[in-house]
Amino acid sequence: MRLALAWMAGTSPAMMGGSLFLANAVLSAPAAADEAFVTAQGADALSIVDLAKMETVATLPIGGKPAGIAVSRDGARAFVTSPEGKFVTIIDAATRSIEKRIPVEGGPLGVAASPDGKRIYVADLYGRRLVEIDLTNGGAQRSVGVGAMASGVAVAPDGKTIVVADRDDNALSFIDAATFARIATIKVGKHPFGVTIDAAGARAYSANVESDDVSVVDLAARKVIATLKCGSRPYTVALAKGRVFVANQHGDSVSVFDAETLAPLETVKVGEYPEGLSVSGDGARLYVANWFSNELWAVDAQTLKVLGKAETGDGPRAFGAFIRATD
Amino acid sequence: MRKAPVSAAVTRRQLLGGAAALAFPPGAAIAAHGASPLKVVETTLIDAPPDKVWALIADFAHADWLPGVVRVEASGEDVPDQARRKLIMADDVVVEELLTKRGAERMMLGFHREGDDVKTLPATNYTAVITLRPAGGGKTEAEWKARFYRGYPNNDPPPELNDDVAIAAVTALHRANLAALKAKAEEK
Repeated sequence: MRLALAWMAGTSPAMMGGSLFLANAVLSAPAAADEAFVTAQGADALSIVDLAKMETVATLPIGGKPAGIAVSRDGARAFVTSPEGKFVTIIDAATRSIEKRIPVEGGPLGVAASPDGKRIYVADLYGRRLVEIDLTNGGAQRSVGVGAMASGVAVAPDGKTIVVADRDDNALSFIDAATFARIATIKVGKHPFGVTIDAAGARAYSANVESDDVSVVDLAARKVIATLKCGSRPYTVALAKGRVFVANQHGDSVSVFDAETLAPLETVKVGEYPEGLSVSGDGARLYVANWFSNELWAVDAQTLKVLGKAETGDGPRAFGAFIRATD
Repeated sequence: MRKAPVSAAVTRRQLLGGAAALAFPPGAAIAAHGASPLKVVETTLIDAPPDKVWALIADFAHADWLPGVVRVEASGEDVPDQARRKLIMADDVVVEELLTKRGAERMMLGFHREGDDVKTLPATNYTAVITLRPAGGGKTEAEWKARFYRGYPNNDPPPELNDDVAIAAVTALHRANLAALKAKAEEK
């Protein structure tokens, strides 16, 4: 599609060479039009970063100390939690405007959207519960009890299972999306915070802050099948290029593992106090939100080279799926 | 960045005494910390070369130049995630810290305060990073920044353990520590 548009832009045969060159330039920039929706908790705002330019192009005031983020799979909406303000903000991602603010009791933190974007799941850090918000039904809420200090939330690609990190219980809770019942709880490492499910829906990965490791969980068997030793204070996990990426807060680094063999591959130095991790739609790039240094870094998921840095608002958390693919 | 209007003249002793009078709500220590980390960054210009200041900072086990510290008890191998120090204060308060990073090349030292006690500091899960940068003319810019949470781990904090109180206390602590570092480094 991009190639066709660029081709059409050439108005004469003499222009064709130029058009082709342009097309190649566009195609070689992976996911050039992607955007990052970065919650800047200290700034009380959402920083929207143009990932082709690696530049913050818009700042949306959110309030309530925004932390969690989920961009819907179709890129139409972004959902932001404000744990201090006790609300979730629904953002029209294309127009970068606030559509609605939905009150959620307790401390809304982790958030994930169902694959069809019709429901969002919000972890209430203080209320030992996961809240479902039905966006097709006027924002009707129902909740299910989970463990202490519910933090990260992930939804399986088929939308049928939700996994919640029960931080202070050192456990993951499994929720059946249809019945909205807690169907299992399994012990993982100490203080799991971020949880990520792979594209195949086969495994979940929890970053365990206090045991400096990642628990690899078989979703069907609901069992920990491996534990990956990573850097100091791992916070979140992202997956791309057959690799597992882990943000180490105290290590100022990202640990990289082979997703197949689970062998450690490399440790990449990033900015200060990395928190949120997400990958581009095509999996070519890894994005790292660095809380202390107020930066978003782009890293090539294959070569592990740092590709660029963007300044964000103060205290970027970007806790969740924060990349919006715009094509 | 929120910065509390705290006088640099506030000493650590005054700080400790003031905070000690606070009532600590029962049951509040159940959760490790809440959802919103806070950040305080303070800097000072030191009339001493970076190497000299770094030698003071990097010597994690002998930080007796810190204000209010009578002596330091160090333990563990002198490497990140193993080295610990107990700062024994004049008023018998003990602050334990774990070294989390030491980067000689970038002149960065990080440590984490172990075991929160809001009576000593009305903040929790305090992690600090000290960074030195050459400031020209043989001077050094020293930055002392921290990530921490307010003293009350849940939402709806009581006024004496809210974000503003935590930021004010940490700001005062950093200013006092930097002033002591400056005085020590500028000694002839």
